[in-house]
Amino acid sequence: MMLMIRGIIIVHLVSVCIAANTTKKISFETGNKLAVLRFEGDGVSDPLIEHLTEELRQSIRDLKIFNVQNRDITNDIHIFYPRGKDYWACWNKECAVDIGRQLRVNYVIAGNIQKKENNEFFINGRLFSVDMEMMMNEFAMNSSGITDSLLLEMKKMAFNVSGLPIPDTLLVDSDTTGTNVTENIKSKSKFNLPDFPKIPTKIKALMMSTAIPGSGQIWVEKKYPGYGFLGTEATLGLAALIAYYKYNGAWSGFEKNYNAYQDGTDPHDLYELRSKIVKYAEDTRRYNIFMKNIRGVAASIWIVNMVHAYLVAPADDYFDGESFFDIEYRPDINQFQFNYNF
Amino acid sequence: MKRLLLLWIPLLFLLYCEDAKYSLDNPFDPENIDLRPPALFFHPPEILTTIDTSIAIELYGLELEPAAAAHLDIRYDWGSVTVDSVIPGPFFSGQNNPMEITVDEQGVLDIYLYYLPDIQSNQSEGGTWSLATVYLSTISTGESELLYGVNTILRDANNDSVRIKDFGKGYISVE
Repeated sequence: MMLMIRGIIIVHLVSVCIAANTTKKISFETGNKLAVLRFEGDGVSDPLIEHLTEELRQSIRDLKIFNVQNRDITNDIHIFYPRGKDYWACWNKECAVDIGRQLRVNYVIAGNIQKKENNEFFINGRLFSVDMEMMMNEFAMNSSGITDSLLLEMKKMAFNVSGLPIPDTLLVDSDTTGTNVTENIKSKSKFNLPDFPKIPTKIKALMMSTAIPGSGQIWVEKKYPGYGFLGTEATLGLAALIAYYKYNGAWSGFEKNYNAYQDGTDPHDLYELRSKIVKYAEDTRRYNIFMKNIRGVAASIWIVNMVHAYLVAPADDYFDGESFFDIEYRPDINQFQFNYNF
Repeated sequence: MKRLLLLWIPLLFLLYCEDAKYSLDNPFDPENIDLRPPALFFHPPEILTTIDTSIAIELYGLELEPAAAAHLDIRYDWGSVTVDSVIPGPFFSGQNNPMEITVDEQGVLDIYLYYLPDIQSNQSEGGTWSLATVYLSTISTGESELLYGVNTILRDANNDSVRIKDFGKGYISVE
């Protein structure tokens, strides 16, 4: 009995010793996938933007909170840039969530870097949850460009995004990595035209597709539907044109024979003309009906094309829900909802 | 340039075409003569003329069946008009011109027309054609009538009579 008790005690002691020598690596890694979309730049050169975005990716990756998606995979999804460098391409929730779904990640970071006066930069970022379809956090940082480098700010942002406190080393450290900032050359108009209000992207796409079917979709990079609408309308237009030429031929024949009939006196000629007039009149009526049908079909497709152009165009941040009107699909009630706000 | 071409697409749908509207009311149209085909009628059906004038009137067939010969018995007012001549029309014309015999006796004009066979056909194709044109001269004022007599008959290549359902009338008014 005593021997058994001693044995149990020894086994426990050995276990404790082994446990004391084993170190477990602690990690906060959540397993959540995150994609950092390419930041938008205002007055900052493209290569620098690319570099800073990659710096943020790498910094977040190093913190090991998120599984950061590789740049090449993220860039597979082409983001629509309607107005070049001075526009935040994917700044609202819908866009970020949509791209996040396409990239199959849980979180998406979108942001922009704006150059202010005196070499000051304003960095803005948003963290979106794709699963919850909401914006989780928004970060804004200022960089003087002299004492603080942009790269340092991106590292700070990585801590913010990861939900970790920014270490003191970063707060006092001054990363002086040289960066070449190239200002965008803004072309000035030759004419002193008044500044017209900016047309929202959706409205612009709608207007373009109203003028030329499919052009709005092509403009917003939805090329296949765009070319589809354009091709369909072009085909219908060609059919209408052919029908019109056929109609014209029949109409010429009708007019010629009808005039001859009205002026004719010979019964044989009139007898022959009568059948021709009836035939040509029937032809003109047939082609006219055909053209009317084509017009009807084309008009329907045209309207669908306009609505489609509006729907597929990305919503502007300053526009969405603030003014004009908006049509959005709500999956919870499986319906399209029309919102307007003046 | 492509954009300019594309701009034409919307315009294609704006092409406006009107439906052909017509009224087949020519008085000389056989369909408006109120005869049941196949029929024989005078063309023109009414002639307004003056004295001592030569007029032409056609003896017309409406949707006639093929025929090889015809005896046209024409009745006219021989106190008002006289027959100058008769010329065969295209109804009996094939590769050969038709043969024609005319007998005019006091208001009765008998016209015998024969189709001269060729290697393709031995009778006319039928249809709506003029059988003959009669040239008349007016000799007194007044109104007179032109009629197809009871002896009027058409025969086909087998010497069978060709059906004629209706006969038209003609009027000559001399002032």
